[in-house]
Amino acid sequence: MEVMIEEGGAYFSGCSSTTTTTTLNDDDLAGEWADWASIVDWGTLANPADDFHSLIDSMLCDYNDITAGNSTAATGSISSTTTSCPSSPRSDEEDDVKGLRLVHLLMAAAEAMAAPAKDGRELARVILVRLKELLPVNGGGGGGGGSTMERLAVHFTDALLGLLDGGARHRDNHHHHHHHSNHDVIAAFQLLQDMSPYVKFGHFTANQAILEAVAGDRRVHIVDYDIMEGIQWASLMQALASRKDGPPAPHLRITAVTRSGAGGAKRPMSSVQETGRRLAAFAASIGQPFSFSHCRLDSDEKFRPAGVKVVKGEALVVNCMLHVPHTPERSPASVASFLAGAASLRPRLVTLVEEEEEEEEGGGFMGRFMAALHRYSAVCDSLEAGFPMHGRARGLVERVFLGPRIAGAVGRAFKGKDEDGGGGGGGWAERMAAMGFSGVGISFFNQCQARLLLGLFHDGYRVEETAANKLVLGWKSRRLLSASVWLAPATAGSPAASCGVKEGGDDGEEFDVLMMQSSPSI
Amino acid sequence: MFHSKKPTMNSHERPMCVQGDSGLVLTTDPKPRLRWTVELHDRFVDAVTQLGGPDKATPKTIMRVMGVKGLTLYHLKSHLQKFRLGKQPHKEFNDHSVKDATSLDLQRNMASSSGMMGRTMNENVHITEAIRMQMEVQRRLHEQLEVQKHLQMRIEAQGKYMQSILEKACQTLTGENNMAGGSSYKSLGHQGGVVDLCNLKDLGSPMSFPSLQDLHLFGSGDHLDIHQQASLDGYMQISDTNICLGKKRPNLYMSNGKSPMLWSDELRLQELGSGSACMGPQEEPSKSDQLQIAPSVMDSGIDMDSISDVYETKPMISGDSSGEKKYEGSSKLERPSPRRAPLNPMLRGGPLSQTRNISHG
Repeated sequence: MEVMIEEGGAYFSGCSSTTTTTTLNDDDLAGEWADWASIVDWGTLANPADDFHSLIDSMLCDYNDITAGNSTAATGSISSTTTSCPSSPRSDEEDDVKGLRLVHLLMAAAEAMAAPAKDGRELARVILVRLKELLPVNGGGGGGGGSTMERLAVHFTDALLGLLDGGARHRDNHHHHHHHSNHDVIAAFQLLQDMSPYVKFGHFTANQAILEAVAGDRRVHIVDYDIMEGIQWASLMQALASRKDGPPAPHLRITAVTRSGAGGAKRPMSSVQETGRRLAAFAASIGQPFSFSHCRLDSDEKFRPAGVKVVKGEALVVNCMLHVPHTPERSPASVASFLAGAASLRPRLVTLVEEEEEEEEGGGFMGRFMAALHRYSAVCDSLEAGFPMHGRARGLVERVFLGPRIAGAVGRAFKGKDEDGGGGGGGWAERMAAMGFSGVGISFFNQCQARLLLGLFHDGYRVEETAANKLVLGWKSRRLLSASVWLAPATAGSPAASCGVKEGGDDGEEFDVLMMQSSPSI
Repeated sequence: MFHSKKPTMNSHERPMCVQGDSGLVLTTDPKPRLRWTVELHDRFVDAVTQLGGPDKATPKTIMRVMGVKGLTLYHLKSHLQKFRLGKQPHKEFNDHSVKDATSLDLQRNMASSSGMMGRTMNENVHITEAIRMQMEVQRRLHEQLEVQKHLQMRIEAQGKYMQSILEKACQTLTGENNMAGGSSYKSLGHQGGVVDLCNLKDLGSPMSFPSLQDLHLFGSGDHLDIHQQASLDGYMQISDTNICLGKKRPNLYMSNGKSPMLWSDELRLQELGSGSACMGPQEEPSKSDQLQIAPSVMDSGIDMDSISDVYETKPMISGDSSGEKKYEGSSKLERPSPRRAPLNPMLRGGPLSQTRNISHG
């Protein structure tokens, strides 16, 4: 017992010293959890729900007493104040202790949920309700309130509660997104870009690979899954318009692949049309010939390659940005259908940006839950290091982007990977390799660019080349985001023809929506 | 004794004959051998360079370019072979940057100096190795400079685009505000956490364009790494070539025009010589760099106070603890944001930037 607490203390004092934070140490945490689990005999918890509350309270009391005693022995500075209410002025040590308590409670809740017995869910609910009481009311919402761990715990608590509330609410995991005003989302997006390299890393690495692949082409056509507000293409246009070798300013066409009109509200920032108009205006401002078209996903979010009009002689590139902090989540089935369909279009290049998922210890829901906890604590950490004093701004970013992402990650962790539909586990890069895509090496220029970009931000960011065709952005020791470059399978020849790749013809069903036409919905 | 000596004499001192106008020195053997004089070798090297390097040049093309009477394919073939062997280490380099006019220049420079320094291929190998490393360093630097330039433009393009998004949003916002008839601005947001969007728009550009000096400092840091590594590998010992290449460097980068400030520092660093000494004086140049650039950054419209206002002068939620307030207040004084750190020369020039070098190298 004593040993356990000491470990925890050491770990958290390292963790909460704001700017120079270290990421969670898996081994330590796992060890602690094992100890902690042994303290609580879950078997005795098969009681009516009423008893749970007092039980949890007594758990907390025990815990606090021990910790307070331990802290006193160690530092001589804190005494019984450790058990006081959360709104009292706090010191670093208090934050540490509290953070540790939060982690343990979150783990206890997750463990309870993972238990097969039905009581488990009730226990989890009790723990979560208690957890919410411990957290500052506006910890995750108001922005800036509380320590990193507290803010993180708010999101994880909400995510677990969302799971407990069952399918209906779970379905609507992204309802957070709609609740934020458009302006909050835009402000948060701007802040996210300034605070962290996440957005630019993915965009610039993909764009550089695209530029290298289409050097010398007169017509470039990009099929973009989930174009969002289109910011990725501003820098590509700039580079195309100013490229030295090859014909000046090749014609650029972008086909935005988005979900069908029904889910229009899920697009908080701007409609596809608005994005197209903005891109066209930007292109005009720098003298870049440009056109924009739109291809909707089917109602089940499946991609139909026939919806993309391919013109002979143009260099076709497929771009797929997944799980970048600000993009909404997509169902794995939809992504899989897009990649398969993309392969049949026989593009010159496929660029992929996705979350890097680290191997989780133990597996199962607990393992995945802990992996998510570590991952997002690293993200929070990096944001905090990037903007140490702008608590309010950071809070906004966390509330708008991280909250929904954490809810999604916890939801996925709970459902398990088997239900993903993609099967096989691992990231999309692995799946693409399995689908027959082959890697294209990342150029020295591209690596250099990524390093220079990270150099503009905090020292804690790092870039690794985990494969010849893959750059990974990490925070401290945790890998967070990867960009990889691919060639479509060479054997896709005959299927492509049958998939209805049109060559310059404009007969058949027309899915393209010409830029300036006003078009319904979304 | 007399008899035995004669053949030796013969093999040593073959009768030579100089062929009139072309100046070729040939033996009088039935299969005449050619003496590759320094002058001739220089012409050969020039021809090879002109033809795009030893791997592209063929005996035939060299013969045409050199235009020396009496020179046969046979002579050129064997000499080219030797030349290629001596040049082997260059292969890689040539592949990378033959297009680079400056590198061609360097190559010619290198070739003629090697011609002057001696005929032994051994020596050539030694020197070309050193020069190859030097050029590799320069190639990388050049590439990095290119990357910096491009990255800067890309970031600016993205910033400009973001600006258009913000402007649009701001318009809508003011529109909504007017419609609402002066209703509180905050009511649009949630939980009071709105960041003032219009202010955000104003600071959009400076915020999202990381300043040039950041790029430069990073670049120079990386450069030091390479530089140091190379010098540790020993090319510094060949001082002759080093000096002559060192003199070439200003042209290389000044011709680029855009950012001479970085490279002038590097020249100073190079003059300072050995690897370990490079790290020490880094502080000083980067400091002067900072002082130069800082005003221009200010001109470009970063108003530090207005930036921090957006984030910090928002009314605190009443529930916030006093501890929180204190934290924000004190950090405002220090402003430890990484983006602003460059304005403080001590921060970058000091040990901080050195740790960064290590982590990226």
